[in-house]
Amino acid sequence: MAIRRQSAKLDLFTKLAIFVIVLILSVLILIPIGNVLYKSFQPGGIDVLRAVIENDYTRQIIMNTVWLGTSVGAIGTLVGFLLAYVQVRVNFKGKKLLHVLSLLPLVSPPFAFATAVIVLFGRSGIISNGIFDKQPMIYGYKGLVLVLATSYFPVAYMNLLGMLRSLDPAVDEAARSLGASKFKIFRTVTLPLLIPGIGASFLLLFVEAIADLANPLVIGGDYTVLASRAYIAISGEYNIPGGAAYSTILLIPALLVFIIQRYWSQKADVVTVTGKPSGQVDMIKTPHAKYSLLFLAWTIAAFVVLVYSMVIMGSFFKVLKVDYSLTLDNYRYIFSGVGNDAVFTTTMLALIATPIAGFFGMMLAWVIVRKIKRGGQALDFFGMLGLALPGTVLGIGYAFTFNSPIQILGITILPQLAGGGAILGGAVAIVMVYVIRSSPAGQRSGIANLQQIDPAIDEASASLGASGGRTFRKISLPLIRGAFLTGLMFAFARSMTTLSPIIFITTPDTPILTSLILAEADTVRYGYAFAFCTLLIAIVLVVMGLINLIVRKTQGTGYRPITVSAG
Amino acid sequence: MSKKRTVAFGLVAALFVSLMSVMVPAQARDLKGSQCGREGQIRTIRGVTYTCERVGGKLQYAEGRRLSGTLNVVCGATELWCAAMARKFKELTGVETKFVRLSAGLVPARLEAFKNNPEFDVWHGGPADGYVVGRNMGLTEAYLSPTRKMIPSKYLDANGFWSGVYLGALGFCSNTNVLAKLGVKQPKSWADLLNPKLKGQVLTAHPATSGTAFTTFWTQVTRLGSEDKAMDYMKEMHKNVLYYSRSGVAPVGAAGSGEVAVGLVFAHDCIAGLQNGLPIKNSFPSEGTGYEIGAVALVKGAKNPLAAKTFIDFALSADAQNLGVGVQAYQALTNPQAKYNRLIIPLSKVNLVDYDFEKAGNRKPELTKRFDDEIINRAQARG
Repeated sequence: MAIRRQSAKLDLFTKLAIFVIVLILSVLILIPIGNVLYKSFQPGGIDVLRAVIENDYTRQIIMNTVWLGTSVGAIGTLVGFLLAYVQVRVNFKGKKLLHVLSLLPLVSPPFAFATAVIVLFGRSGIISNGIFDKQPMIYGYKGLVLVLATSYFPVAYMNLLGMLRSLDPAVDEAARSLGASKFKIFRTVTLPLLIPGIGASFLLLFVEAIADLANPLVIGGDYTVLASRAYIAISGEYNIPGGAAYSTILLIPALLVFIIQRYWSQKADVVTVTGKPSGQVDMIKTPHAKYSLLFLAWTIAAFVVLVYSMVIMGSFFKVLKVDYSLTLDNYRYIFSGVGNDAVFTTTMLALIATPIAGFFGMMLAWVIVRKIKRGGQALDFFGMLGLALPGTVLGIGYAFTFNSPIQILGITILPQLAGGGAILGGAVAIVMVYVIRSSPAGQRSGIANLQQIDPAIDEASASLGASGGRTFRKISLPLIRGAFLTGLMFAFARSMTTLSPIIFITTPDTPILTSLILAEADTVRYGYAFAFCTLLIAIVLVVMGLINLIVRKTQGTGYRPITVSAG
Repeated sequence: MSKKRTVAFGLVAALFVSLMSVMVPAQARDLKGSQCGREGQIRTIRGVTYTCERVGGKLQYAEGRRLSGTLNVVCGATELWCAAMARKFKELTGVETKFVRLSAGLVPARLEAFKNNPEFDVWHGGPADGYVVGRNMGLTEAYLSPTRKMIPSKYLDANGFWSGVYLGALGFCSNTNVLAKLGVKQPKSWADLLNPKLKGQVLTAHPATSGTAFTTFWTQVTRLGSEDKAMDYMKEMHKNVLYYSRSGVAPVGAAGSGEVAVGLVFAHDCIAGLQNGLPIKNSFPSEGTGYEIGAVALVKGAKNPLAAKTFIDFALSADAQNLGVGVQAYQALTNPQAKYNRLIIPLSKVNLVDYDFEKAGNRKPELTKRFDDEIINRAQARG
């Protein structure tokens, strides 16, 4: 039942979809990064590439990067899996609350999370030093893994939650009736069926971790990774080719993990959504297992609560760690006019980018899994590139590419999109960056979900005369609703919190909230920075709630897929 | 036609003609060369903006400029300061003034990325080493502002590619509570920083990413006489350094929240932190310290060069430099006529090393590489 069948002939909708996808990928990512990465081979860049062979410091940086990505990918995926498993397979009170807390770190404004962790667990941390009288050294690998794994695990959680819910309980039942123990079922049935989800999460977390910039700047200490090295090259050595070269190197581990993940997922036979009715999910009832799972899950949730309370409380203190008297001054300041424009602009641009990113991710997933035989891998990888590159370098690519109108044979095909003097004050380029940077989550979870679903369902639709577009809209999209939701939420949260790629393309007409946060953090006014972050978190939570409602509501009125939800 | 009416008509006509004769030449009349009140003052008279300059012993208006359009500033100073400058400039000239604030180190890269279609007219704020690079990369254009005459020549690029607007001396920013707990006195010399009791209690930025930290490094070169000796000092100090932050100002926050005892930063950043309620205190090393020059420059290919030039005239004037203190920018000022208050430490009160900006800028790539290889790399291998 797992043999992938392909429609022999592509209908018009599919052809059009592929054309649009290729066009979007070219304009949003391939041309901009091509425009900067080729500089790797200019003087300054060549030196960096050569240093990979000659200089052991450069090699050390590469090792650091790979090690960091692997750690964050593994730990984040494990945490996400644990929380998703508890959510689906354990009955307990406070399920909704745990769900919300598992999603919360999706909104992690730059600086806020790492700064709060330092305030709590740093050398003079409120908890580490204040309660335990310890001076832990969190600047470096340990701190980075802690912060990155915590801010990125929600993607793994959402991904795996959707997949666990759509697992066909009949498979478990069959194993049980053959006499397998619960643990054996978990190990030999559940886990293997989740391989695409686990692989997808690991890949996503890996590339996010190695491309992240803000956190290494705050809590990375001397643990230099390729992304921060690229930033040093650009901002400290004024060497754009050098920055490009470090980013080119960064693509190699990203590509390797991508290939391994793909190979691993495709080897697995994971089709579980067959369209046939299925039985009841078997819940974990053994007290021993149940309570240890719950304990772990709530511990993680408690950590999240602690860090977020720190951010929120920090916005009400006069001077953090010095003067704990409560005040509204920080809010008075941010609402005094400095932030109003930025809050409005950023929210609007993110709202525009969100549906585009969400649909684009799903289209990409659908075309890759269902429609094309060759070239799918390439599309898949290109779709991930927006996330896999350090933001600064992506931003420079946009600046180079869209700083003036693009002409072919003297005909303007694109007006100037980026920078001051561009149309709409440069807002178009910012939305484009938001889209390409936030669509990969939807794309990955969409692909993982679709691989679970029997293509026969699509084919049935097609044989009943539905067009490719109708099948996508009526069959595939509803079936991967979870992935779509993941994509939308991720897109909005990421767009609102994106910093490094837009540094090079913000204009006076497009004030962006994250760059104001950076400005306050730069001048060590943490109270203001935390107040902005709290506001940002509030906006994102409200919008995420709305997205959830809308997606569920439209779902309720339409066709209901047979995926049995065990929640 | 009555006599009265003829007279009335004649009177009106005469009035009109005389009014015209007063107004029309006045509008066209160039105030260039006529006497003005205060050197560096910017005045807009009937749509023409003049800068008051000193020629010989006499104060007179320089060439008038009919300004229009929008001025776009790329600003490497703090958000508040950038905003204050933009507001005041608009008030003086009527020109809509917009800015984008960037970390100073990113400005050359951004200008480079938009080189073929510049989006900014003027670059304001951030250390001179970036401006030296910008000049070498062909990102800026020379402009000999009439107000430059007010500024000591050591704060100016000789050819006018950049001009200094503020100064900052490097100091030690200490958390008094942490020092007391450690039983260490406030450090007053570079030697004090090597006190073994300060192990892991010093925070400084990485010299490649931060102008502040490179100033620290080059100060050692100047003070100790050679790059090797400077490297030796940095290695000694490394034993006490917790880690090297990316941002030059970060040590203020770390010292303020008690993560470390001492941060190496420019004095004005420490004073701003103190003003924001952090328990920190600034001191200067007795052996001599380095300093930075914050600059302003005309962007090559500026779309509004006239307004950009007037902005530079303005930035160098005492009027503009006096804005800093109101927006928590406590840098010392390059214009000797600018006002000082108790929060601004004039450089004349600080023991400075003989800092060669041109040489420092040229040696930077090699020295930061050495720093990476000999200090950071070893630290990584160790950790």
